[in-house]
Amino acid sequence: MPELYDLTLEAARELLLKREVKVEELVLASLERIRVTEPQVSACLATREEEALELARDMDREGPAPEKILWGLPLSAKDVFCLPGTPTTAGSRMLENYRPTFEATVLTKLREAGAIIVCKTNLDEFAMGSTTEFSAYKPTRNPWNLARVPGGSSGGAAAGVAARQVPGGLGTDTGGSIRQPAAFCGCVGLKPSYGRVSRYGIVAYGSSLDQAGPLTRTVADAGRILSAISGPDGKDSTCSNLPVPDFVNLASRDPRALTLGLPPEFWDGEFDPAVREALDRALAELRDAGVTLKSVSLPRVPYGVATYYILASAEASTNLARYDGVRYGFRASESSELAGLYRDSRSKGLGQEAQRRILLGTFVLSSGYYDAYYKKAAQIRRLIQEDFVKAFGEADFILAPVSSIPPWPFGAFTEDPLTQYQLDVMTVPLNLAGCPGLSLPVGLGADGLPVGVQLWGPSFGEQGLLEAGSLLEKIFPPLPAPPLK
Amino acid sequence: MGADRQTVLAMAALARLDLARGLAPEEAEPRVAKIASEFSQIVGYMDILNEVDTAGVAPLYSPMLEPQLPREDEPRPRPQTDAKAAAILEAAPRRSGRFFVVPRVV
Repeated sequence: MPELYDLTLEAARELLLKREVKVEELVLASLERIRVTEPQVSACLATREEEALELARDMDREGPAPEKILWGLPLSAKDVFCLPGTPTTAGSRMLENYRPTFEATVLTKLREAGAIIVCKTNLDEFAMGSTTEFSAYKPTRNPWNLARVPGGSSGGAAAGVAARQVPGGLGTDTGGSIRQPAAFCGCVGLKPSYGRVSRYGIVAYGSSLDQAGPLTRTVADAGRILSAISGPDGKDSTCSNLPVPDFVNLASRDPRALTLGLPPEFWDGEFDPAVREALDRALAELRDAGVTLKSVSLPRVPYGVATYYILASAEASTNLARYDGVRYGFRASESSELAGLYRDSRSKGLGQEAQRRILLGTFVLSSGYYDAYYKKAAQIRRLIQEDFVKAFGEADFILAPVSSIPPWPFGAFTEDPLTQYQLDVMTVPLNLAGCPGLSLPVGLGADGLPVGVQLWGPSFGEQGLLEAGSLLEKIFPPLPAPPLK
Repeated sequence: MGADRQTVLAMAALARLDLARGLAPEEAEPRVAKIASEFSQIVGYMDILNEVDTAGVAPLYSPMLEPQLPREDEPRPRPQTDAKAAAILEAAPRRSGRFFVVPRVV
């Protein structure tokens, strides 16, 4: 039998239900794996050893509950999900000592499905970043090469899943924060349609863009977690009332009946040679399997980065206005007047990147600039959404690269924010359109680092997306485990 | 259109941020200059949106295709507010009895 920490969610579930493995053993294996790999990858901000083991023992006493689709399975949660009794920092000094009094709906749903949250994972502060370098606590390292970034902002979640700390994790994706770290760490990552999953109890960044979703090692496992967290929520009016299809029992797809659209706006661009070679190999494998590949244009995606950073920063500046040092979070105590208390608490409690986005957001929303930037970006957002609707009339799904370059060394872009923003060009359009996207590995590049692709589907089309993703997963070669000690 | 140092300082004041907080005067100026230069570069890049003709295009502020109906307005029993309020106050960096404490405003 493989090591317990090496099991996928589906494999572990089978053993749990047959009582060949106890929940406690599985949770202990996960905690032990965290202990061994954490000095190398730094994926976690907190572990929940006592709570997780107590829950596991209770479950073992009560016996298997097969109707719960995640019964007894250990998972991680990015540290933006409010979990009562556990610090929820959002990677910020501002929330260093914050302990929520309420639970994020997605965590309630995971708990009700039988999952056990064993750790909270690292991220860029308030999910603003693509590397975890903007975490106020520590950077997470890429399990494939510890000198490289794991991607972000859900970098802790991706690195932890790749390092076999947990078989699955929950992240959030505002502009690629699930899909890009999944690609950088060789995992599967799914950003659901906007409105598929409740945002209640998630520390807010860009409220019209944020969605929670799974990071796993297989597409089927991503579907299982998505099944558990989807559905309407009376606590989030942007959460859709549409019925949730079955994401667990997926139909198999015939490659000869699948047409993927390749936007030339991405595929014709410049790539790092190792990434290009891995992507070309993947396209050849798809063609050999009988999948039809055709060029489908998304003419406005080249404007995605500018549009996204205007809208996301505007929403961030509004959302982060709540951090004032009064009701919760960090307070700089020296000021004797109210405005000074706000200013001192925010300036000291918020990091450089969060402050930059607040400044940008304040600027694009301020009178005199509102129409030229904020309104203009919102208009282009509609055009980008229209491009997506049109593209799905020409192909079943869109196939896009995730990044034109491999995971980069630490510090490569921290002093060059504009370039770092521009690297998000292949992930942000999806959030603007509100559509679902699945990132999955196609193999390793010549540099030994994972390379991923994204499959984009029409709004609320996650079922088809997962079916197609399962097919692609079988066509691409499986990744080995990363070379950790 | 770029954004100059004055604009950045004005935005910081609106957003209740002190960009030079905790820095000695000789460090403060280069820091503000660096933030302003990066800000100006980013805003300058955003001007590429002017290439797109948006005349007559309605802005899209949420990607939801179907509007959500509000839930029924059904009365529910009042929650246990005292325990909840105490737990919420527990998170306040300074409190006094049932109140948050702020510097004197009047």
